[in-house]
Amino acid sequence: MTTHINRRKFIRVSGLSSAGLLLAFHLPGKNTQESVAEEVELNAYLKISTDGHIQIVAKNPEIGQGVKTSLPMIIAEELEVDWDQIEVVQAGADSRLGAQFAGGSMSVKTNWDALRNAGATAKAMLIQAAANEWKVSNADCYASAGVVYRKGKKKGKPYGDLVVAAAKLEVPKDVPLKAPADYKILGKSIPGVDNLALVTGKPLFGLDARPSGALIAVLQRSPVFGGVVESFDATAALQVPGVVEVVEVKASASKMQNRSSVAVLAKNTWSAMKGRSLLQVKWKVEEGQEESNRRIRSELDKLTNQKGEIELRNDGNVEEAFANAPTVLEATYEVPFLYHATLEPQNYFADVKEDSIYLSGSTQVPGGIPGLASRITGIPVDKITLDQNRNGGGFGRRLTADYAVEAIVLSQQLKQPVQVVWTREDDIHHDFYRPAGMYKFKGALDENGKLRAWHLRSATTSRYLYRGSTESPHTTEVFPDGFPAGFVPNFKMEYSPVATTVPTGAWRAPGHNATCFIDQSFLDELAHAADKDPVKFRLELLGNEDKTMPYADHGGPNYSTKRLRRVIEEAADWGGWWAPPTRFRHRGFAAHFMFGAYVAQVVEIQLDEKNWPIVKHVYAVVDCGILINKSGALAQLEGGIIDGLSAALYGGVKIREGRTKQDNFDTYPLLRYQEAPRIDIQILKSTERPEGLGEMTLPLISAALCNAIFAATGERIRSLPLKDNELYRKSS
Amino acid sequence: MARFTLNINGKQRQVDVDPEMPLLWVLRDELDMKGTKFGCGKALCGACTVHLNGAAIRSCVLPVSATVGAQITTIEGLSEDGSHPVQQAWMEVDVPQCGYCQAGQIMTASALLANNPKPNEEEVAAVMSGNLCRCGTYPRIKKAIDRAIELSR
Repeated sequence: MTTHINRRKFIRVSGLSSAGLLLAFHLPGKNTQESVAEEVELNAYLKISTDGHIQIVAKNPEIGQGVKTSLPMIIAEELEVDWDQIEVVQAGADSRLGAQFAGGSMSVKTNWDALRNAGATAKAMLIQAAANEWKVSNADCYASAGVVYRKGKKKGKPYGDLVVAAAKLEVPKDVPLKAPADYKILGKSIPGVDNLALVTGKPLFGLDARPSGALIAVLQRSPVFGGVVESFDATAALQVPGVVEVVEVKASASKMQNRSSVAVLAKNTWSAMKGRSLLQVKWKVEEGQEESNRRIRSELDKLTNQKGEIELRNDGNVEEAFANAPTVLEATYEVPFLYHATLEPQNYFADVKEDSIYLSGSTQVPGGIPGLASRITGIPVDKITLDQNRNGGGFGRRLTADYAVEAIVLSQQLKQPVQVVWTREDDIHHDFYRPAGMYKFKGALDENGKLRAWHLRSATTSRYLYRGSTESPHTTEVFPDGFPAGFVPNFKMEYSPVATTVPTGAWRAPGHNATCFIDQSFLDELAHAADKDPVKFRLELLGNEDKTMPYADHGGPNYSTKRLRRVIEEAADWGGWWAPPTRFRHRGFAAHFMFGAYVAQVVEIQLDEKNWPIVKHVYAVVDCGILINKSGALAQLEGGIIDGLSAALYGGVKIREGRTKQDNFDTYPLLRYQEAPRIDIQILKSTERPEGLGEMTLPLISAALCNAIFAATGERIRSLPLKDNELYRKSS
Repeated sequence: MARFTLNINGKQRQVDVDPEMPLLWVLRDELDMKGTKFGCGKALCGACTVHLNGAAIRSCVLPVSATVGAQITTIEGLSEDGSHPVQQAWMEVDVPQCGYCQAGQIMTASALLANNPKPNEEEVAAVMSGNLCRCGTYPRIKKAIDRAIELSR
């Protein structure tokens, strides 16, 4: 890839069918002898210059999931260019590009058709332009590495020579797409497009993107969730050199937007932080002063001891099955609130002028922020410009734009450009955490150790309840069609939401990060109770018949038992599952379908002298359909395992007196370098539609790990994180 | 406020700031060098790592007044073109996911290798354990450090 900087005359031409818009401007340049190139936009996703330079648009936010590389790869493949012929350009907010966000591992799967068509359509127009010039049929022409050739001829015409003529053609419909067997870019390992800029410290991130002259805002929000500013004294804060102003920011009506706060504005970040530390704020708190993990836990416990508020599934008759079964198992599982901990703290920049707005900063929802800004300021969306930068992590935190609203409101209030910067402490105290949950299982086995009944009573601090959504509070909390539903003759699932002042939101692999842990752990318990191998127990349950199972949640409308069975079998074989465990290595297994992809994992652990697990090796087998970027895909799958392991070992937010009691990474530890296991991943070859990969390995590791601990010790871990589990609390 | 002359990446730079201001914010806000990252502000994550006289230090807790007279190297000064063996190895192994921690990781690894060209696994772990990567690139960081050791030969 080359960076393309020269003095050129730019002309942007849109395809005839889109508007026939012609724009031209001159870049400043004294030397008129220099090359003059026209830059032609064949569609919203790509531009080709008459000097041969090709730009491909990366439409979605890059949060570490690799879409700034993988999405342009799809376009380049169909455009029939070599990867080193193109430059990737990050798009701003642009309604022509469809939805722009990072969530649900959806970037690849939902853009697959549009991106392939964008590349293929442009290629077809370039071929048509050449065919017209040569006065031959387009069937006699083909494209290769950015050049159109006539069959049998050695010399062809490069795209740059054809693009002006191509732009005048009508945009063709239903252009042919390449067969996977012909892919030259897809499936290869393409390194991240920003790697050079990253390793040389270029300013790529939201926090780096502040124009000079903008004020920095550091805000004091209520330590108790939901508290409102009653009064404040800014005398000391205003004496800090560099501090310019201290203002109150009123809370939005929506709990997902900004909270009541006092903002210290300064010329630099350090002064703003120092000023904030000297603020005296009195808070008014109407409810939730006493909120705590203990209160929430007792509420979760109460609700899972009674009939659920919502019955999500009821196959057969579980009560009758339990009454007649020779073996009945009961188990209670628990998961804590989790903090997102993006390494780049939340930040946003806004410059609200009289009749226009400029926005930039780290977010997973760039497509939604102009609308938000428009509703706040009354300035129409078409007068709002938003640039995208890299995000230092997302994990679901940046699906909520509360901090962007802070910047917009402050800039409007002060009539100045403002960058809002959160400290680590702000970030941990004012997150939208993964909901806490409790899950009570009852399972029944028959005389042959076959699973006859499965009953789950679940309760969580529903994130849809928190935000006051009209959607059912169970949404993304539990999944009534998830395995083993449909394979157990008597199956019942109930759910109850718990209301709390603790903010909750989407955390990488929402819902699945809890349900996979509980389901795959309880299946392991049942397998042991049935005296069966846990992998064989799962395979027996799935059966040998290939079935398409209905699945109403995200990733559906169905899933294939054949594909699920295959990842289970491959992982067990490859991960050495069938070999006897050694004294020092113990194995655990988990398999899961989510968001359209299939994953199975074998984890190998060793125990230290306190029985704490040292995770030595993780094997994962993945079926994600067509593979886009091999290196990027493996990176996501590796990262998901480490993220899930970190949460399983250490994750958990401590709520007392209505607030979060941890402040930084000393009290909220994350997994570190020396604890990372060796990870080997196999991605199965497939010609099925591609699925995303950003979240899929994460949910399995907690279950596979705890199943391995059981294999090693006979102790069953039913409550996370491990560090707070009584098994380890009593030994440490 | 006070005036300081700092030696950053071989150049003398003048700043007029609060003596307590950490080097991190002098770099980012006063000198517009955004390669050094803010992660925690408490020397817990390593995102802000720079070299002070060749040693890896956390610039988020080091007051600017304590850096006068020292040779400071930031990610921008490791090499201008990414040709340092650690940078080369990072690109070859395709380490970054979000990439936010990587400048700090690279500064920690490069200080280690400058002082100990052939560290063993424990020595690498002891040093790298101070740098958090929230995306979980640790296995690739390990590979890249091995590769950088090879490239440095």
